[in-house]
Amino acid sequence: MKRRLSVALIGFVTVSMLAGCGQSASNGTSASSENSEPVTSAASTAEVAAGSSASSGATDTITVMVPPVTNDYADKMTEWADEFHTKYPNLTLEVINTSWDDHNTKLSTMAQAGEAPDIAELSYSNIGTYVSNGTAVDITKYMDADMLKDYDQNALDYMTLDGATYGLPLYITIQALGGNKDMLEAAGVDVAKVQADGWTYDQFLSAIKAGTKGDTFGFVFANSGVTASDFINIFGATAGITNAFDSNLKYTYSGKKMLTLLQAIENMTKSGYMPNYGVEASQRMVMCETGNAMIFGKAMPLFENSIKKNNAAIDASDGSAVEDSKKITYAFLPVPTMDGVSESCFGTVDGMVAFKNNNSTDEHLKNVMTALYFLSSGERAAYVDAATCLNGVCQTSRDAISQFESTDRDQGNKDCADRLISEVSAPPTGMTADQSAAAAQMMDEVIVPQMQALLAGETTAQDMYDAIVSAAKDAFGEDGCVLD
Amino acid sequence: MTQSRHMGADNSEKQNKITRREPLITKDDISGYLFVLVAVLFFLVFTIYPLVSAVITSLQLYKPFGSDFVGAKNYINTFQNALFWKSLRNTLVYTAIVVPISILFSFVIALMIMPFNRKLQSVFKAAYYLPAVASGIALSVVWLWIYDSSPSGLFNQLLTALHLPVQNWLGSSKTALLSLMLMAILSGQGQNIIIYTAALLGIDNTYFEASQLDGATFLQNVRYIVFPLVRPTTLFLLVTGIIGSFQVFMNAYMMTGGGPNNNTTMIGLLIFNNAFKYNKYGLACAQAIILTIIIAFISFLQFKLAGSEVEY
Repeated sequence: MKRRLSVALIGFVTVSMLAGCGQSASNGTSASSENSEPVTSAASTAEVAAGSSASSGATDTITVMVPPVTNDYADKMTEWADEFHTKYPNLTLEVINTSWDDHNTKLSTMAQAGEAPDIAELSYSNIGTYVSNGTAVDITKYMDADMLKDYDQNALDYMTLDGATYGLPLYITIQALGGNKDMLEAAGVDVAKVQADGWTYDQFLSAIKAGTKGDTFGFVFANSGVTASDFINIFGATAGITNAFDSNLKYTYSGKKMLTLLQAIENMTKSGYMPNYGVEASQRMVMCETGNAMIFGKAMPLFENSIKKNNAAIDASDGSAVEDSKKITYAFLPVPTMDGVSESCFGTVDGMVAFKNNNSTDEHLKNVMTALYFLSSGERAAYVDAATCLNGVCQTSRDAISQFESTDRDQGNKDCADRLISEVSAPPTGMTADQSAAAAQMMDEVIVPQMQALLAGETTAQDMYDAIVSAAKDAFGEDGCVLD
Repeated sequence: MTQSRHMGADNSEKQNKITRREPLITKDDISGYLFVLVAVLFFLVFTIYPLVSAVITSLQLYKPFGSDFVGAKNYINTFQNALFWKSLRNTLVYTAIVVPISILFSFVIALMIMPFNRKLQSVFKAAYYLPAVASGIALSVVWLWIYDSSPSGLFNQLLTALHLPVQNWLGSSKTALLSLMLMAILSGQGQNIIIYTAALLGIDNTYFEASQLDGATFLQNVRYIVFPLVRPTTLFLLVTGIIGSFQVFMNAYMMTGGGPNNNTTMIGLLIFNNAFKYNKYGLACAQAIILTIIIAFISFLQFKLAGSEVEY
């Protein structure tokens, strides 16, 4: 009897163990961690009415994976999933919410296992990796041309590699500088003029010199860890570097403009107008709010909302304000320009990208396109654009944005943001997935580590530039680099 | 006649053998096999299969929907990659410093808490083991605050109080790797201390009574009694410590991301980046296989060199 019981128990354990391995691929995306539990629209697919407006009328579930693009994006996605299901009763949106920290890693792991979500939020600079491994889908093969016509070509170009478009843009973020308006004016800066016409690098240096007093730095830029790449991307515009590749598809970070930029950074770190220690991303705006910094980077237009919120918290004295912070007026500022360089602004496009997985069929991909357009256009896109203080990148978003836009935005900041958005230049057309992936790896393995050493005073601008040139020649070949 | 008698004898002997032969598999054997079946299946599914799969993937340009066979290209690329050699050097330096100091540190702590009564011993063991219970992420956040490069960081406040210049702990090539080592040494000894304490408790008191009669000092007791008798424990901690140290990942990932200037990039982090950041699974698998071979070789050497003198 005991033996039979033992055998039965062993059999049960064995079967249980193997059953765990036997999950079908179709369930893969539903098995999620705590912060990525799928949120399915309320109506079940069983209740689907016949005769929907989707491609064939057959029921289908589309998975979407998104980080918190806005503070309440997860809640909004649940609402929109229900709305989508009402509009297309045979289609169900299953939402996987992630955090910004784990979004890319989770997406990469799922894609490599052939279980990528059908749609995921992604920065344009990461698309190349998924094109290389064959998981990103060229949406022009499945999407109606009318849907694509809704989008500004400039924004669509970001989602395009080697002539194929892999997703729809949600917004163009512009990344530049921010500052304490009162302190800037006290340092002799005509803020309105800078916002309207820009400023030179010399004017910028004079300003941060004047703003450096006691415990206050004239300029603070988050440079700890990987944020060092922001310094290159954003201040690249100062020296006239707008993209990693030029119109001839040559790698630009190996050019002399890069050396000029690195020398400027070296000069700023040695001047004492910036902290000589690593500044975490979360510290930069706090330093401005506590009066320890006059200008900070990177900054975006939406920071005006955060600073107004902190000002309100100080007034309310409810303990939610940043410790030791003071009420300040936020000024969104362009990056300065060096001699002979015309003003431009670093921008990056995030959008919704379509992915292939083990379940993908042509029919399913057509349904994915319906969901992709639904989430990236109209009121959904307008809501995101308004929350991030950015202009829409599609006509249906611009048409709908008035109902979400805040009316109390500083006009100077708004005009400056509008002006800088028009100065963002898209990556050159014809760039291949391999070039994009190699540029991303160059940034992570060569430029960022060297930049950390430059900021710590352990290498020189010239040595860093030489290292970049050497690595660029290896990665892209001499013919693939700007070597002036 | 003689032949037929012989044949008759042979037949009866054969008959005896047949009747005496035990079945190849008895019921007891079946029970035994069934009992180990679960463990064997776990081993096959979670160890052998991933290992074989990793070897196959290391010979491919991996793509989720159809990989291309590339032969030894991933291995060649690995050996030609300067960052691989730098990460290997970083890992070796980290291991060479952290493992011996950790073992020495935990041995000394275990010796120091031995004279206390059981309750007090448990308090100390619990206190030293506490960091192992805490989540690695939470631990890293605390250490990030300790190493904060601004004047408000804990270590920098200490330096300021001593009128010394503040340090860019995790941002400078001079201090970043040392900072990770210090973190590992100070927060990862709980398990070693418990294992050493158990080994010390296993030493028969008669040795110490005899040495007391001989007038041996405390250090002589440690040198001639304690140290030889805990040698198997030391070898175990050395082998597992080196294996763990070669696989170190989270400290670098959470604290420095491999910087500055890749001075804290360990092989584990390099493999992770290749697999999950750049989607180069084939390359990552090749590097993982190389790491496995290195660890296996070092473990073999340790058993060969140190294991022969160990009495269990």
